[in-house]
Amino acid sequence: MHESVLAELRRVCGAEAVLHEPLQLLTYECDALPHLRETPAVVVLPQSAEQVQGIVRLCARENVPFVARGHGTGLSGGALPVAGGIVISLARLNRVLSVDIPNRRVVVEPGVTNLEITRQVAPFGYYYAPDPSSQQVCSIGGNVAENSGGAHCLKYGFTTHHVLEVEAVMPDGSLVRIGSSLPDTPGPDLLGLVIGSEGTLAVVTKVTVRILRKPEAVQTLLAAFNSIGAGGKAVSDIIGAGIIPAAVEMMDRLAIEAAEAAVHPNFPPADTILIVELDGPASEVQEMFGMVEAICRRAGATTIEIAQNDEQRMRIWKGRKAAFAAMGRMSPNYYVQDGVVPRTRLPEVLERIRALEQRSGLRIGNVFHAGDGNLHPLICYDQRIPGQADLAEEVAGEILTYCVEAGGSITGEHGVGADKREYMPRMFSDVDLDVMRAVRDAIDPKRLCNPGKVLPTPRLCGEVPGPYREHPIERAGLGERF
Amino acid sequence: MVVDGVQSTEVVTPRDVAEFAAAMSSASAGRRATVISGGGSKLSWGRTPAHVDVVLSTARLDQLVAHRYGDLTATIEAGATLAEVNRQLARHGQWLPLDSAFPAATIGGIVATNDSGPLRHRFGTPRDLLIGVTLVLADGRVVKAGGTVVKNVAGYDLGRLVSGSFGTLAAIATATFKLSPLPATSGTVGIVYRERGALARDTQMLASNQFEFTSLDLQVTPGSAGPEYRLLVRVASGPSATDAQIAAVQRLVSAESQIISGRAERDLWRDHVAAPWMGGGTTVRLAWMPASLADVLTILERIGRETGTGVTLTGRAAVGAGLLRVDGSPDAAAAFIGRLRDDGTVGNVVVLRAPSAVKAAVDVWGTPGEAGPVMRAIKNALDPAGILNAGRGPI
Repeated sequence: MHESVLAELRRVCGAEAVLHEPLQLLTYECDALPHLRETPAVVVLPQSAEQVQGIVRLCARENVPFVARGHGTGLSGGALPVAGGIVISLARLNRVLSVDIPNRRVVVEPGVTNLEITRQVAPFGYYYAPDPSSQQVCSIGGNVAENSGGAHCLKYGFTTHHVLEVEAVMPDGSLVRIGSSLPDTPGPDLLGLVIGSEGTLAVVTKVTVRILRKPEAVQTLLAAFNSIGAGGKAVSDIIGAGIIPAAVEMMDRLAIEAAEAAVHPNFPPADTILIVELDGPASEVQEMFGMVEAICRRAGATTIEIAQNDEQRMRIWKGRKAAFAAMGRMSPNYYVQDGVVPRTRLPEVLERIRALEQRSGLRIGNVFHAGDGNLHPLICYDQRIPGQADLAEEVAGEILTYCVEAGGSITGEHGVGADKREYMPRMFSDVDLDVMRAVRDAIDPKRLCNPGKVLPTPRLCGEVPGPYREHPIERAGLGERF
Repeated sequence: MVVDGVQSTEVVTPRDVAEFAAAMSSASAGRRATVISGGGSKLSWGRTPAHVDVVLSTARLDQLVAHRYGDLTATIEAGATLAEVNRQLARHGQWLPLDSAFPAATIGGIVATNDSGPLRHRFGTPRDLLIGVTLVLADGRVVKAGGTVVKNVAGYDLGRLVSGSFGTLAAIATATFKLSPLPATSGTVGIVYRERGALARDTQMLASNQFEFTSLDLQVTPGSAGPEYRLLVRVASGPSATDAQIAAVQRLVSAESQIISGRAERDLWRDHVAAPWMGGGTTVRLAWMPASLADVLTILERIGRETGTGVTLTGRAAVGAGLLRVDGSPDAAAAFIGRLRDDGTVGNVVVLRAPSAVKAAVDVWGTPGEAGPVMRAIKNALDPAGILNAGRGPI
């Protein structure tokens, strides 16, 4: 990086906000997908929208690629730096700007965590609905980039349903308001385009979200089944009965064992467990919950546990939400996939995954949002065994093929990022991708804003995507991964 | 075909998407001003065009392509009417929970205008239910975005991008939505107020309670003895949950209420949704911050009085969105709109339907926001010849 650019960055943001020593950069080499790594030239930590604007203007003038980063919890390499580029960390834009209970709106900077919004409004009986598993640490800016969902998005939708307005620095350095805190902004839904664009169209500097009243009643049950098919039948029958639960989650034997070993949620030993949560007015929850219980019994539930209080409910969710991390105890490494299938095709796709598990010799745990068909197969491997990392990646790709063949998607909530961009042609035609690229080029003609994400690009010389390989700094004992 | 008083040179009604694409490509090549039309129910919305060369009709693209009832999704061609689609979806106990004031309104037109009604309180606007689209671009390319599953973040959300674009970016060929189960029962509580403050207080009380209403709508009509204020609260759920919520609403509100159900309830909502469009006057879309409702009503009445217009407001009380019918001379209506925009208590004021004299006096879209240049850059990329809804739409 040219010294004049560094000097300009220091002038805009202050010297202490500009990091470029190798050890300082280490943290920013990857997001929560550690097998994709790249070292940026510089990391800048601006403290205001004006500073972000200053950085982006400089990048536009000097043709330097830049990548916005929240708290680095993304699972698709969406915040993977560009070699020689700038990472704009939004961690210090972390102020809650306004809490407006009468109008049910909260305005925050992008570095505020998802859960912090709920913390701010909980005393008034409100909450922010999207609840990705990482909600304690993930940033709202990252949620906007990825259009994050969570376990309760079956009933409540995604980030795009809860964000009313953003302030964003566009790739040319202009600062614009997109959407409006009032409903019905005239014209195309530009906000809908920007949310979920994975940081490739703009750097968001302020977010206005709507908050919801905490439901009057919540009821959660955990049902055990002898087969995935029986659990799947229960899910279909619940939906078929006209009930939209707040959440419907399934875990298979391996995932159950992992969660049990890690956080002891006291899950029954079963082939499959189903977690169903209803929320809403007490009268409605009461009426529907009895139906859900009866449906689970008819579908062959071997045990049904109904959470009697918040504590029991939290224990069930703790087991579910810990499943990813718990896999870390079962296997030295694992690869998470995020494909989606139409709910009715779940049993058949899960059968194919089981067959693949046997064929590949890699264990695959399944934790998934059964209500909306979003799978999270956890592919276990050991990178110390030569070839296993590559095999895991191959298996993951195979699963995505199953999802697309069943009429689904390669990603339900983690995003395409750098991880799955080469799979985009399985879902979209060349024309589809050309048009998406044309939209991107219209907004970012210099292709500087988080390049190399979402849309497939021809692989460049020396670019080695794929499973994580030890960094030279780690090998030399100069640093370690966090 | 006549588009907002302007006769088009040609009407093309393609039989399938391939023909539609060919027609678009030829219009682009000839740089002919093109208007895409569905049922024609909202064809007069937008700026008055200087001229229209081609009207491309989706009338023959009117099929429900797939109803995946087990997955609660449906893929629908743009020219199918909402009414017909919902008749078909009802066979499996499901519906696309959107409303339209117009029986001829098609899926394509509803998405292109992102038009919504009282069901918005619970279900949002069309863009909230949209999960995938097939678009025909100005140059004839057929493009897909999103998919057929409710959860999907792969690629850019071009479906949302065209929502509200008024046919300026691309033609919608098919749209895929997430659906809802039809509720087992439904009931509406109607509450009449003597003064606006009480309506505003009750709205705020109901909106901050833990109910799950299907609709929470308000209506203000000019009466002989001053404005009449009404709240309409619709509950649709299982039988006992519906009854319980209705009883709670009746207990909590500060004015006299009555329950409307069955056929009377259907008629009530039909008339309520039609009210902004009665007569031939000016209909304006507007938005406000929910807690400012009392101020909004005060301002509307004052500007109505001062400009000599009669004002009928129909809106989503807790969302802060509605339609205003302004009855009076074109000059008075134009003055009303100008004053309303200057005042700033409400925002996003867009003139939907209006006599040509009103459209000549005020810009129907208002001042473009800060995102105007971004929208124009996208427009230039997707419709470089600038043929789509030229001069009419928001961009």
